[in-house]
Amino acid sequence: MPPSTDLLQGTLDLLILQTLAPGPMHGWGVAQRIQQVSKDVLQIGQGSLYPALHRLEYKGWISSDWGSSENNRRAKYYALTVAGREQLETELETWKRLSAAIGLVLSREASS
Amino acid sequence: MMREGMSKLRFLVTRGKPAELDEELQFHLAQSIDAKVAAGMDAEEARRQALVEFGGVERTREQCYEQRPGWWLGTVEQDLRYALRGFRRNLAFTVTVIATLALGIGATTAVFSVVDRILFRSLPYAQDDRLVSFGLSQSLEKQEFTLGGFFFDWRDRQKPFQSVTYENGYGDCNLTESNPVHLHCIHVAQNFLPTLGVMPIAGRNFTPEEDLPNGPAAAMISDGLWLSRFNRDPAAVDKTIQIDGHAVRVVGVLPRDFEMPRLQETDILRPAQIDRAEQNKVNSGIGYPLWAFARLKPGVSVPEAKAEMEPLFLHTQQWIPAEIRKDFHLQVRSIRDRQMADAYKAAWVLLGAVLAVLLIACANVASLFSARGAARERELAVRSALGASRGRLIRQTLTEAVMLAIAGAAAGCVLAEILLRVFIAIAPTGVPFLAAARLDLRIVLFTVVVSLLCAALFGILPALEKPRAAALAARQTKSGGQARLRRMLVVMQIGLCVVLLSGASLLVRSFWNLEQQNLGMQTRNVMTVHVPLNWEQYPNGLQDFYLRAEAALRQIPGVTAVGMSDSLPPDGWHDGCRYADLEVAGKPPAPAGTGGSVVWRSVTPDYFRVLQIPIVEGPGFTQEERGSKEGFVIVSKELAARMFPDSNAIGQHIEHSVFNPYRMPGPVYTVAGVAANVKNGGLTGQDDPEIYELRSNLHPEAWSQHQFFLLETSLPASVVGPWVRQRVAQLDPIAPVEMDTISQQVSKLADRPRFEMALLGFFAGCGLLMAVIGLYGVVSFVATQRTQEIGVRMALGATRFDILRLIAGEGVGLIMLGGVVGLGGALAGAQLLRSLLYNVGPHDPALFAAASLLLLVVAIAATLIPARAATKVEPVVALRYE
Repeated sequence: MPPSTDLLQGTLDLLILQTLAPGPMHGWGVAQRIQQVSKDVLQIGQGSLYPALHRLEYKGWISSDWGSSENNRRAKYYALTVAGREQLETELETWKRLSAAIGLVLSREASS
Repeated sequence: MMREGMSKLRFLVTRGKPAELDEELQFHLAQSIDAKVAAGMDAEEARRQALVEFGGVERTREQCYEQRPGWWLGTVEQDLRYALRGFRRNLAFTVTVIATLALGIGATTAVFSVVDRILFRSLPYAQDDRLVSFGLSQSLEKQEFTLGGFFFDWRDRQKPFQSVTYENGYGDCNLTESNPVHLHCIHVAQNFLPTLGVMPIAGRNFTPEEDLPNGPAAAMISDGLWLSRFNRDPAAVDKTIQIDGHAVRVVGVLPRDFEMPRLQETDILRPAQIDRAEQNKVNSGIGYPLWAFARLKPGVSVPEAKAEMEPLFLHTQQWIPAEIRKDFHLQVRSIRDRQMADAYKAAWVLLGAVLAVLLIACANVASLFSARGAARERELAVRSALGASRGRLIRQTLTEAVMLAIAGAAAGCVLAEILLRVFIAIAPTGVPFLAAARLDLRIVLFTVVVSLLCAALFGILPALEKPRAAALAARQTKSGGQARLRRMLVVMQIGLCVVLLSGASLLVRSFWNLEQQNLGMQTRNVMTVHVPLNWEQYPNGLQDFYLRAEAALRQIPGVTAVGMSDSLPPDGWHDGCRYADLEVAGKPPAPAGTGGSVVWRSVTPDYFRVLQIPIVEGPGFTQEERGSKEGFVIVSKELAARMFPDSNAIGQHIEHSVFNPYRMPGPVYTVAGVAANVKNGGLTGQDDPEIYELRSNLHPEAWSQHQFFLLETSLPASVVGPWVRQRVAQLDPIAPVEMDTISQQVSKLADRPRFEMALLGFFAGCGLLMAVIGLYGVVSFVATQRTQEIGVRMALGATRFDILRLIAGEGVGLIMLGGVVGLGGALAGAQLLRSLLYNVGPHDPALFAAASLLLLVVAIAATLIPARAATKVEPVVALRYE
């Protein structure tokens, strides 16, 4: 089982959307980027990554296109759509509220 | 074999997403290797580690596929294809299930469609359940009627009805225009149609003025007449037509589905124009018969209405002569009950039979599915182990069940349509409205849903059970609970089958008795001719015409004798009198109200010759006596035995006394002979004693339109018919002529029992066939399941006979148990058939034994075939059997 199953349901989608925000990227790139940014805490295996990418694509939040990679391999690039960008904002908003709420609960638990 | 199965299953649960995903994953892996090489790993090691990290691809493929919206639709297609492959592999199972379902659905739908028309048909009246028929009934006339002498009193003083109306029976009339036709004119009260809630489709109802005595002549015509005479021209309303030589104005047209509450044929409705005061004078002061119908007030039930009518009835009863008072009863019942009195029983029996067939069909499908399910337990376990979810397994089995049900339903609908046409073709005319029966979509849906549920329920039962790991490992699969269920189903089927078979055998026997019975008369080579004359054209009476017609018919070549009678045996209308009204001169009369009724016919001497009814005593009638002033009668043997138990009947005098309203002396007749008994109560009814009056030529006023000529001829009706028409036309060119043969009339009477027998026989056959299929299926399944055990037993020295006993023993046990249960049910159910039977007791032991024996033989044959096959198994093969 890939470690990413520990991620909250829906969190992976958020991470992918956020990662794609700057510009189109292929699957491998998305996984690497998340890993780098999280300082190797979050390692996304292909078993979670690709189903998630496909799911987002079917939802219309990202689109895909074939292109060639930096080392001239044929690769499938994913890019945020307009709907995806809106979705990212909504989800970020939700995430902030949620994490703030969880933070509140946890800090009170810790202080009491 | 396992491996092959696995690869098939893998194909099922996964599905190669196009190469795109593979390419994407390939890229991912390549990047991963590159990254590791870049980090300083050597190429081989990088590749190895990347692959390890990468993990299995199948799951990713599958999950990616499942992200697709509506991806499960694709699996439905998979399920369908998989099911179809399964059906092809297991053709016997598939065909059996579809055939069983088709038979079940077809038979049920057809019969429900028929029975629905009979039992639950809505009458063509507004709120038909609020309409009743009421009046008196008595032993001579069991269908209620009223008389003009008291009807109006009842009508004015009744409380339970919102509206009361009447018709005064059925009248012949002739349309005396160019192309004259004989029509059925019925005279009704002005409020007849409003009470029934029927609106004319053109024109209007009668006005009150038109219903007054000597009011303007008005008529409403039937849709049929409107079409045939006026080609549905709206201008027909207000036209004047000639009825029996009178100008009558057409005021309205009846709806196409209009029918009289007593179902008489109707071409024309006329206002009755009854003079109420006159009704207390005519017909010895009791008035003419009227048939009364009423609409109940809201909230009043039929029994309540009857209770409220009781005081009026008691009042009227005082007015009936004391001698016969007790014979009259008040009857109030719904119009539907009045119409369907006779058809109810047959319809319920039919319904019962078809439900039994449906049950057998369902049990069959259930046991077939259950057997298949048990055999597939292992397959399900394997698929479950390969990752198919429980929901997926259930859906797969459900798909198969639904596919079979749909195929069965489609075949069933075709069968239903065919069966319905057959029913209508063989149905007797006496079953009302059968010809109008159509396949009812609701019923089709109902039966399809029932069989679908049945198939679905038993189809998914095995899948519901969590496939046990043991089933994977076990070399022998066996599911105890299911096996018990299958055995119970077989017992039920056999039981139902015994009920059906014994019911059918009772009806077959009864029909045989009916066909073989002695009618007491000749039915072959007898033609009947009926000429309904128009009264108005014969102001001097009809006698002259009929006598001339008799003479003319004698002239026809090939006609050897011509008799006349006012009615015909063995069924249909006939005149009658009470036994107690016949007095032997010099003897005290029988106590009033005792002795039942006597059939009375007015005949000519040749009546006995044509029908070959032997005169067993006395000289009989002679042609000369027809002109005699004296009245002569011939009595039937039965009547002679009752009236003259210890003396010679010949030469005795019989007086027919009349009530007016007190007993008065009536005409006296001399007994001229004793005739052998003839059936006169229909084919199945109780015969009454009979008296034949010699039709006298000196009483022209006594001749009515009810005259039948009986022609003895060895020529076919098609040859004689035109000659008859020609001779009659010479006497009266516009007299309608109706011809028939006695043998056809008798055959028509047997239509109904023949219909009942054919239907129940058909259902019993279906039931037997299906029960046998079910039994065969279960036994052969058991035999297959025990193949290994058989191998062991044979290896240990069991003979083939031992094996036969082992396998067949189980089947025979089930048959015996089912037979006993069924016989119990059949004995109870046969009571229902009692009234449909003729000369057979409902518990005829020989028939029950025969039915059970037939079932036993067929069922044991169905057991022995698979059992014998089991003994043919080579022990070595059986031991290796997986």
